[in-house]
Amino acid sequence: MSEAYRYFLIFIGALIVYNILLVRFIALCPFFGVSTSVETSIGMAMSVLFVMTMATTVCWVAWNYILEPLGVGEFLYIPTFILIIASLVQFVEVVLKKVSPPLYRAMGIYLPLITTNCAVLAAATEAVKPGFLKLNVPYNFTFPEALVYTIGVAIGFGLVIVIFACIRERLETSPIPHAFRGAPIAFICAALLSLAFMGFSTLLGL
Amino acid sequence: MSERTLWQEFKKGLIEQNPLLKLMVGLCSALAVSTRVENGIFMGLAVTFVLTCSNVIISSIRKQIPREIRIPVFIVVIASFVTIVDLSMRAYFPAVYERLGVWIPLIVVNCIILARAESFASKNRVSFAVMDGLGLGVGYTMVLLIMGVIRELFGTGKIVIFDKTLISLGSYNPPLILIMFPGAFLTFGFLLALLNRHEMRKKK
Repeated sequence: MSEAYRYFLIFIGALIVYNILLVRFIALCPFFGVSTSVETSIGMAMSVLFVMTMATTVCWVAWNYILEPLGVGEFLYIPTFILIIASLVQFVEVVLKKVSPPLYRAMGIYLPLITTNCAVLAAATEAVKPGFLKLNVPYNFTFPEALVYTIGVAIGFGLVIVIFACIRERLETSPIPHAFRGAPIAFICAALLSLAFMGFSTLLGL
Repeated sequence: MSERTLWQEFKKGLIEQNPLLKLMVGLCSALAVSTRVENGIFMGLAVTFVLTCSNVIISSIRKQIPREIRIPVFIVVIASFVTIVDLSMRAYFPAVYERLGVWIPLIVVNCIILARAESFASKNRVSFAVMDGLGLGVGYTMVLLIMGVIRELFGTGKIVIFDKTLISLGSYNPPLILIMFPGAFLTFGFLLALLNRHEMRKKK
């Protein structure tokens, strides 16, 4: 398997085949919370891409140069990673406010939500820590692979959340049985959408 | 606040403020692990344990935590308990740990726990916080079990717990969709709709 092909597989695998929202059910809370309008979903998707890439980079450095050499990774990785993400989000918020006010206005309100977005922690843990299944196979990523994987996951999140927001905007004007109004119909739609993604499940494997 | 009893604090988590059906928090883990009843039992226990313990600790130090840094403090408390669960589950139930995978560390960011720490434990007495944690934990486990039973029974035709077959439907051609990922959304959507319907009937 050539180098470039492997990167491609990791990217497509993270993006579509093991899509973080519809196939793996990670980060459903922001999914159902934010996806009410297309505009907010795009904002959320951009902020997630940004924070997730940075989180994986910093967690990678922390795991390989601090936790692993000291031999404490196995039992300190959860607090370390979550604190890295939480402080990173705060840091990004402060920097953005100072450096680029328009970008801050676009992303600002989503940033605090990202701390508790499980997708960031999930992507960082899986990409960095050995011992978790990656794309359903035991495999350890090198740093560029981890980065490609994270970007794939983040774009997959953005893609689905924007598609779903479009569907939900249509739903508002549709006649829906009374008991299904609101959340239940959103879940049924998500089921149909994930049925579509099921078609990709045997597309390719690592 | 004095009129509330401990039992009421416990009971509200079951239906009225059920974390999954009513508050709609912590959905991610619930949908993902509900493919099997056995997973539901372990995940429910893990979440209940972390929720109750972190509620107790946060409630007992609530007067010492400065308001500005409360979120990092909550996260560190929660993360320590999740580490306990992570390591003990890996030691005693390696097979289950393998299957639950990344969901155990993800309990840290499970919105149920942080939400309860923020909105309940940091404002209430320890005894109330314990009952609140237990109640919501049981409510969470209950929904997980209901979904697990539906999906495993109809998706595979039998329920297997600890390698023992409890119920079997005999020769039955199971619809695979229930055990695959769309099934989780479908089951949960219909559960919500049923609850809505029930409540609308009650109002009339």
